Amino acid sequence: MARLNTPAARILLGLVVPVLLLIWWQAQSAQGGARALAFVPLQEVGATLAAQIVSGFLLNDVLSTLSRALTGLLLGGLAGTALGVAMAMWRPLDRVVGPLYHAVRQVPLLGWLPLIGLWVGNGDATKLLVVSLAAFYPTVLNSYEGVAAVERRYVEVGSLFGFSPAQRFSHVLLPAALPLILTGFTQALAFAWIATIGTEILLGAPAGLGATMGVAQAQQRMDVILVAILAAALLGFSINHLFARLRRHLLRWQPVLA
Amino acid sequence: MTLHTRIDTPHVPIDTPANGALTIANLSKDFRIGREALPVLDRIDLDIRAGEFVSIVGPSGCGKSTLVRLIAGLDTDYAGEIRLDGKRIAGTSLDRGLIFQDHRLFPWLTLEENVGLALLNTDIPKPQRARIVAEHIALVNLTGFEQAYPHQLSGGMAQRAAIARALVTEPKLLLLDEPLGALDALTRVHVQRELQRIWLTQRSTMVMVTHDVEEAVFLGDRVIVMDAKPGRIRRIVDIDLPHPRDRSSPILHRLRDEILAELTGPQVDSQAPENLVHLPVREVRA
Repeated sequence: MARLNTPAARILLGLVVPVLLLIWWQAQSAQGGARALAFVPLQEVGATLAAQIVSGFLLNDVLSTLSRALTGLLLGGLAGTALGVAMAMWRPLDRVVGPLYHAVRQVPLLGWLPLIGLWVGNGDATKLLVVSLAAFYPTVLNSYEGVAAVERRYVEVGSLFGFSPAQRFSHVLLPAALPLILTGFTQALAFAWIATIGTEILLGAPAGLGATMGVAQAQQRMDVILVAILAAALLGFSINHLFARLRRHLLRWQPVLA
Repeated sequence: MTLHTRIDTPHVPIDTPANGALTIANLSKDFRIGREALPVLDRIDLDIRAGEFVSIVGPSGCGKSTLVRLIAGLDTDYAGEIRLDGKRIAGTSLDRGLIFQDHRLFPWLTLEENVGLALLNTDIPKPQRARIVAEHIALVNLTGFEQAYPHQLSGGMAQRAAIARALVTEPKLLLLDEPLGALDALTRVHVQRELQRIWLTQRSTMVMVTHDVEEAVFLGDRVIVMDAKPGRIRRIVDIDLPHPRDRSSPILHRLRDEILAELTGPQVDSQAPENLVHLPVREVRA
């Protein structure tokens, strides 16, 4: 089993199912007729991909989607963490804001879209707001839990060394809550990514992977849709991977779980 | 190597410790459970000389940990007086250090950072802090582990690191709440020896709560024996032996057995007195 754990082996194993799917896909497309429309031959997809790379169309889409998702993640994530931490540290705020927050987050984001569209319009601001909200919910929840669960014994140590409230916050509460805060950001990342592409499809945009998918669907361009899906999948996968590494670095003080 | 020279020439001559005299007068403490007030400590009177090592033993529920928390200032709700060098205790202070049974090192900081963080609110200039931290890590024999995170240290090492962190601010009074309770027997003997060496070096006042009577007599100038429910001082035993002490000294063993008998005595059922019969046997073996 040890051999299956080398990086090369893991990449190869991870490729087995995708390659089988591609072979199946190609076989379907070879059936001709209506099938060839739904299952575009892979060489066509490849040609479209190459053309989009050369023209810079794909890069433009990727950058638009990426900046939308990351801006939303940052805005929503930071606001969410701030609110969660504040609620955990200050009971009255929890009492006043908590019930509203827990009620509002039960409504799926798509449910808010008509209302937000009415208020803010269908432009970039709406998309950014929805993406930020997607990142906001999980970061509130996790940072609240993180700070609320900080062990009293560590707070007592700070008290013995005469920590001020600000020192207690930065030297005890925040680092102790960091694992859960980062868990919140991991979830926020996934939600923000979904929300970005979702709002791009629904509301359209000058550029963006989701916007391209929406247009291509209307034009029945399966090859274009596939290129966009491929890009979204690879990009999402890479961001998650990078974030997991950042998380491991920030939490290097934790014992490695066997 | 510097450690040995430091033992030969302590900062302060043994007869004139700087300060750290603790006066406890008519101290009482209740815990409120629902509407009932449960007395935990009842009229405690105790004078601890500057530079003295005092051990406190007693059955569980005798309030010994509560007493230590009150002296540390973690709990300020009490009746009576606790004074350090004449000043009434009304909160925590860098004058008083506390070591818990669990080491309580911050898991997100390295050993060096943990010890250094204790200096956050001292007026020691920043450039000197690294040197002072290194000295205290050397004092507990952990040089070479500065960059280790707490989870990478063994139980005994982590507890020694906690001792270094508590000492780095040079408190006049060091409180120890069952500091070695979580260690295995062999490690405990090692850390006891180090505690004794450190105390001889630093000469600050130390008050240690323990459930290990042998440890109490080995380290203490005096042993306070407490009663439970409510917590009262039952007896104070002077241990008139010079430090460093020999663990196998027959006097220590006899004192230990006496205190053990005192602690177990009244609780033994009149129908089952066998517990006491075994005690002399131990003494003979010693």
